[in-house]
Amino acid sequence: MANKSVWSDNRFWQRSATWVTGFAAILLIWLTFDTSAQISMGTDKDIQNKVTKRVPGPTVINYKITYERSPKRGLEVPIIGGNDGKGNSLFQEKEKFFGRDDWSEKEARAMLHLGKLGSQAKNCMDCHTLLGNGAYYAPDLTKSWLDPMWEDGTMQAIIGGTLGKELSKEEAMAEFLQHPELYPTHARQMPNLGITKKEAIGIVAFLKQMSSIDTNGFPRNFGKMKGAINGK
Amino acid sequence: MANNHLTSESKQLATWYLTFAAILFGAQLLFGLIAAIQYVMPGFLYGILDFSIARILHINALVVWMVFAMFGSVYWLLPDETGIETIGIKVGKLAYWVFVAAIVVVVLVFLLIQVGPASDTTIWFITEGREYIEAPRWADIGIVVVALTFVANLFLTGMKGKQTGIVTVLMADMIAFAGLYLAGMFFTDNISVDQYWWWWVIHLWVEATWEVFVGAIAAYGLITMIGAHRKVVEMWLWIEVAMLFGSGILGMGHHYFWIGTPEYWWEIGALFSALEPLPLVAMFVHVLYDWGKTQGAQNANGDETSVITNKPAFIWFVLNAFGNFLGAGVWGFFHTLPQINLYTHGTQFTSAHGHLAFFGAYATILVGMMYLAVQGKNGIKVMKNTKTSIWAVSMITGGVMGMTVALTIAGYVQVIVSRAQMGATWAAYFDGQSGVWFTQAMDWRLIMGVITFLGFLLLAKDLLTTGKNPVHER
Amino acid sequence: MIDPLMIRPEIALADFLPIFISSALVLIFGGVYVGIYTAVKVKYLKPWAIIIAYGFWTLTAYCLYVMGSLMHVGDFTAKALVVAAIGLFLLPFAVYYMEDNVHKNNEHDTQGEEDGK
Repeated sequence: MANKSVWSDNRFWQRSATWVTGFAAILLIWLTFDTSAQISMGTDKDIQNKVTKRVPGPTVINYKITYERSPKRGLEVPIIGGNDGKGNSLFQEKEKFFGRDDWSEKEARAMLHLGKLGSQAKNCMDCHTLLGNGAYYAPDLTKSWLDPMWEDGTMQAIIGGTLGKELSKEEAMAEFLQHPELYPTHARQMPNLGITKKEAIGIVAFLKQMSSIDTNGFPRNFGKMKGAINGK
Repeated sequence: MANNHLTSESKQLATWYLTFAAILFGAQLLFGLIAAIQYVMPGFLYGILDFSIARILHINALVVWMVFAMFGSVYWLLPDETGIETIGIKVGKLAYWVFVAAIVVVVLVFLLIQVGPASDTTIWFITEGREYIEAPRWADIGIVVVALTFVANLFLTGMKGKQTGIVTVLMADMIAFAGLYLAGMFFTDNISVDQYWWWWVIHLWVEATWEVFVGAIAAYGLITMIGAHRKVVEMWLWIEVAMLFGSGILGMGHHYFWIGTPEYWWEIGALFSALEPLPLVAMFVHVLYDWGKTQGAQNANGDETSVITNKPAFIWFVLNAFGNFLGAGVWGFFHTLPQINLYTHGTQFTSAHGHLAFFGAYATILVGMMYLAVQGKNGIKVMKNTKTSIWAVSMITGGVMGMTVALTIAGYVQVIVSRAQMGATWAAYFDGQSGVWFTQAMDWRLIMGVITFLGFLLLAKDLLTTGKNPVHER
Repeated sequence: MIDPLMIRPEIALADFLPIFISSALVLIFGGVYVGIYTAVKVKYLKPWAIIIAYGFWTLTAYCLYVMGSLMHVGDFTAKALVVAAIGLFLLPFAVYYMEDNVHKNNEHDTQGEEDGK
């Protein structure tokens, strides 16, 4: 056959495939460098200097965290230690975490480390979702620290009532994690995974830190709508 | 060619791999059934084999049986493609047994020990707790070693024998496949960094290297089963590689919308995700084209018989082209753009997509390879369908489609109730889960799961017995 | 300053279902378009059926438009969707043209003899 066209040439496509793949891979690697810098975990110094990081350092547990709409970005962002009114964190308002709001960077990091390890050792991700990834058998944990069930004291009342003492949010959470089978909230119950008190405190620190991660507005309208409109 | 009654050692080893893959496929369905029952009856095996454990076994058996079947498929086609016996077959056999032993130990640990204390020991010996790659670190290292021996065998054989386009693509693809696993082997306190690299393994396997693998296997299948023209098929394979990697590598962006990564991933994810279905549509056209052309050429010669030399395998291969388009394409596309993914991320939609895509894109073609192996092992010239093979493929496909539709409805309820109306809280979650539509969808999912499992039993029976069936031409 | 609501508006509750349906139909219609086109070319269908194929592509483009507007996609995504629609339109032409070319170039070879290089 005469005039063999380049479009039907095996070599041409082999080279094209190589170039396209190489180009895409290089672009991905380049973006990975940029993203890695942006999602590296912040430090206590960043918080002291009021630098907003996408993933704040572990000492963020000393501060009050909320999830509010940023008018500039048009989506909800985590606000640490108070809102300046324009959707930026002030890093001022503190909040006690297990009775203290002066956890050092080293202590906070150790708690977070234990909590993250615990989240993997107990297979959290195979029932729950974290940052929306995981299984769909149990609620998403991305902003669970800010969940109205804890914010409005419902769970503290249930757990504290059973134990006969008053509990702060984080204490109630830690108690729940150790004995979830005692506090059923639905026919689907969390099983007892043998979580120790120390591990539970670590996991709560991990959850609090996770709620301070800037997730580009996921989940949408979290906790803003109270009560079911129509659950069916 | 040495495929008559398996004089080739490579093909012998392939049948081992494919057999173990089929067993794990059964295990995957069994644990899936347990998890499905738990959605309907939450007390089922509570505290003994909790949902998390059933699900770990469900998804890990899935990944591992597919890897086994992929290795098996390569060992099967290597002698045909290269024209020589696979090099290093002894090491390959040893690696097979190491792999099987490691899987058995990991499964037993998952079943019996389940969770550990929050320490490095747990990560090393019990579970890593990261969805799909929960296998503890010692097993990770084992898997990498096994994968590397496999890649070495493939390379040595490919370089010594005839290096066809299919073999070249497989060589490049499999080295990426093995290498990417390394991205999932470290621990970090930073959950965003953790998930960033976790997606390198999951996405770049499932939406890039595995898809290219399927392209290569489909090319081999078209040549062996319907005598498609090698040059056409191989040129097409290169185009597929360009399209799949061109869209798939950066399509990764659609996993980086909400995990703490910067906003620019919205645009990257949207653009490349919108392109991702194109190669899947194209793959579909290609099968149609080749089939039409070869059959047409034969008919023109006055021969009206079918060009297909293995009917059941061909059905599974066609299902693959179609299922890939439907499961990965349609079900992927409708929740891929960030505007809508904000509401669908982390709902049963993902689960619906996962079920149909894994089945359509991978399970189908690997089952097709199992049929090709049965044909070769029994020295059959033209393999025909039996009643059992028709029932098996219909029930499995119908069951998976049914599960997918049920999960899609469940996902829709979740999006509307838990996400759009109530804002994704704990209460919102359970409100969505208790809706009538949701619970009924879960009932249907279970029923369809049972049908799938029964279909699997028929498939197993057919694979074991059809080789001796006198209906085939020998 | 643009109103932030213009950047990321809510999706109306009643719009979710049309969005899911239209986005599923995008690819289903697209697949039918490509399928009919190829079937006509390999002479499974009569040539006039190509009109139906183009009809399905039009439906695909329409569904993409519906989906995009209900989702309130931004400028960039809208462009990406147009590119995808055009890509889908050209896809079967390109695939058929290339495959046919190779086929013709190799018509006189015996099958299975080439080494693929």
